[in-house]
Amino acid sequence: MSFKDALAPLKEFWGEFRRSSSGLIGLGILGVSVLLVIFEPLIVPFPEVGKRWKDINYWEDNSSSAPPAWTNFFLKQKKTVSSRIENPRVSVEEGDGIIMDRIEFPYRWNYDLPPHDLIFKAVGTGTFQFAVSVERPDGETIELFQRVEQELTGQDVRVSFNTDVRNATFEYLRSKESTEAITELDSESVRPTEIIFSEAGQGMAKAQRPLKGEYKFIISTMRMGEESKIERPRLLVVGAVSGILGTDTGKRDIFSGLVSGLKWALLIGLMTSAISVLIGVMYGIVAAYYGGVVDTVMTFIFELFVSMPVLPILIVASAVFKPSIWFTIGALILFSWVGSVKTVRSMALQIKEETYIEAAKALGASNQRIIWRHMAPLLIPYSFASMALSVPGAIVYESSISLLGLGDATIVTWGQILFDANRGGAILNGVWWWIVPPGLLIAIMGMTFAFLGFAMDKILHPKLRTR
Amino acid sequence: MYKWYALKRILRGVVMYVILMFVFSALFNTVSETTQRSQIEEQVRLEANRLKNLKSDQIEAFRKQRKEQLIKQYRFDRPVGERILLRAVNSVTFNFGKSTIMKAANGSQQVLAIIGEALPRTILLFTTAILIETVIGIVLGLIQARKPGGILDRSTSLITMIVYGMPAWWLGMMLIMVFVYGVKAFPSGGIMSAPPPDGFMRVFDVLWHMTLPVCTLILLGFWGLAFLIRNIVLGILQEDFIMSARARGVPENKILFGHTMRTAAPPLVTIGFLSLLASISGAILFEGIFSWPGLGNLYWIAVQQNDVPVLLGNLAITTGVYLSGLVILDLVYGFLDPRIKVGGKA
Repeated sequence: MSFKDALAPLKEFWGEFRRSSSGLIGLGILGVSVLLVIFEPLIVPFPEVGKRWKDINYWEDNSSSAPPAWTNFFLKQKKTVSSRIENPRVSVEEGDGIIMDRIEFPYRWNYDLPPHDLIFKAVGTGTFQFAVSVERPDGETIELFQRVEQELTGQDVRVSFNTDVRNATFEYLRSKESTEAITELDSESVRPTEIIFSEAGQGMAKAQRPLKGEYKFIISTMRMGEESKIERPRLLVVGAVSGILGTDTGKRDIFSGLVSGLKWALLIGLMTSAISVLIGVMYGIVAAYYGGVVDTVMTFIFELFVSMPVLPILIVASAVFKPSIWFTIGALILFSWVGSVKTVRSMALQIKEETYIEAAKALGASNQRIIWRHMAPLLIPYSFASMALSVPGAIVYESSISLLGLGDATIVTWGQILFDANRGGAILNGVWWWIVPPGLLIAIMGMTFAFLGFAMDKILHPKLRTR
Repeated sequence: MYKWYALKRILRGVVMYVILMFVFSALFNTVSETTQRSQIEEQVRLEANRLKNLKSDQIEAFRKQRKEQLIKQYRFDRPVGERILLRAVNSVTFNFGKSTIMKAANGSQQVLAIIGEALPRTILLFTTAILIETVIGIVLGLIQARKPGGILDRSTSLITMIVYGMPAWWLGMMLIMVFVYGVKAFPSGGIMSAPPPDGFMRVFDVLWHMTLPVCTLILLGFWGLAFLIRNIVLGILQEDFIMSARARGVPENKILFGHTMRTAAPPLVTIGFLSLLASISGAILFEGIFSWPGLGNLYWIAVQQNDVPVLLGNLAITTGVYLSGLVILDLVYGFLDPRIKVGGKA
């Protein structure tokens, strides 16, 4: 069989497949998903999401259970969107062996409600002193914070405005506000970001009016010599709304988690279905071809597997063996190969009686040759439809196990995100951005492969098209 | 002979169950032994604590002796093969032993009592849902088959594909979020209010608690059923006897309900039953979302509390229910389709 001969039926298949719009949509979504998987590191805002999903330190600078940024569109008072400013303007001055840097973070603030927190972060080496201040659009400058760091060896320098600049902002408030208003307050009851981002003047403690415009957060450092330095300075705005799909109670970016889960969903679905359908097809062919005792034994084993309720067994096995994802995939294959056996066996029984098989036998072809060269090529194309149709089942099974908290802890899957959501009270608290997207993605994946599968099925069983 | 066919099928079901129990007991032997050993330790410790007026070496001796006795009783001194066999026999005779933590409503720690409590609730929930589902599915499927390629047929097929891979428990979460915490129309979970109302109101209370879970199952279930029924009916409509009926001028409705439905009955029953079994095999987890205290919810609790005896007992019972479902299905099928039992081979 030449290459061209092999291509002809494929071309014919494509010609028919092209006419099914749902099939094309399925193919399109599948293509987009594959692209998403390939370009994952470029797309997600947190590239280490796959490795550090359960690492709380990685997520500490995010806001907790923040809705998606686009929800601002429906709000009258716009909330601050989380962002990070990573390219500050840096200027260096040198004199008398003392080096002074000025790191300036410009930030344009155009919202109505202040962020939860601002975090300055950098990597420090050696000994240095640094101070944080802000220049506001109304021309006022507030000195916020000062600290001396000694003999650092590449640790993180972290200033969280919420905890570290309370006194300074309260002093600023005291200088603007009337005495009566101040007596009711203390530095613990006033959030620094509320002061920084509101118009100065009497009454600012109670009713804050947002001060929109260009802010400049300035970090000035003083250090002795080149060996002391402050690197990778960045300012993180911890907003009340965050990212494309918000964050969960563990401050994790849900969008990153979902994109990272996509590759696992595809892997679980495709690997399980491809391997199990191929096993099933070969099993059916062998049982039908040899017949007799072989058929009886194989049918009995098949029936044994059919009589097992899949999910309960998977749950118990996962609870007992604390599995990795590969164990889960293996177990799924073990139980889902039975799906296509029955149909294939009956089809193979028909093919077996064809004259060309008889002719092949008469010519002295071995059993294996007949199975591989004459029967399998006829039946394997049929299996593509059932392959596609068994993908959603595998994905749902894995998510169900993960939903119970029995998933592989080293990876992120959609089921695990839903497990966290369920345990974190997302339903009760109405944190919809934590529940809707993962489940919707599972459903969309299911739909995609259903589109593909039914489109292929239609071509293979044209009887169902009309009366 | 239907009698022989039935007997044979039932026997085969029993044999399957025994084999499966054997496989499970071999598979989960290590973990259940660990649990049992720690249960023995616990029991010995408790008993030793009760002996107050003995010297410490006497207590030590008692402990040792008692432990040996228990180990002998549970046959931990016997080879692994024998223990696996014993456990399989225990499973087949529904002797699952005691749970580690969980309790039945009356305080019993017998695994069988805990599961026996949950089983009827699961059956109630799922059979109700499947009955409604099947009725809707048949009606919708017939309407679809009447005009294949029409707007209704196409949109229904589309929805079938859209909900094809949607997990029931996720839809349950959605419905709870909307109808329990958004519009406060339904209770958040459970089977009855606390305290449960008396008399006739109790039935309504259960129905009220059932509404949301049943709706979840139906919303996902009937599309696929309708699609399958449509395909079966379309297949039958292409048969020669339908063509001859049409040629004779039999009205279309009579063809659909008289000729087609009659032929389609066996596969329809199979589909309804199979989807019930598929729920047991797949959707059972969604009980946990609604805290519906059935077998599925039992899996949640047993996994959370790491109660291995309950987990294994639950698995055995679920498998038993599933298997008997398959047997009943074959029996009904054999009854409806006389061709099957002629060969004597299912």
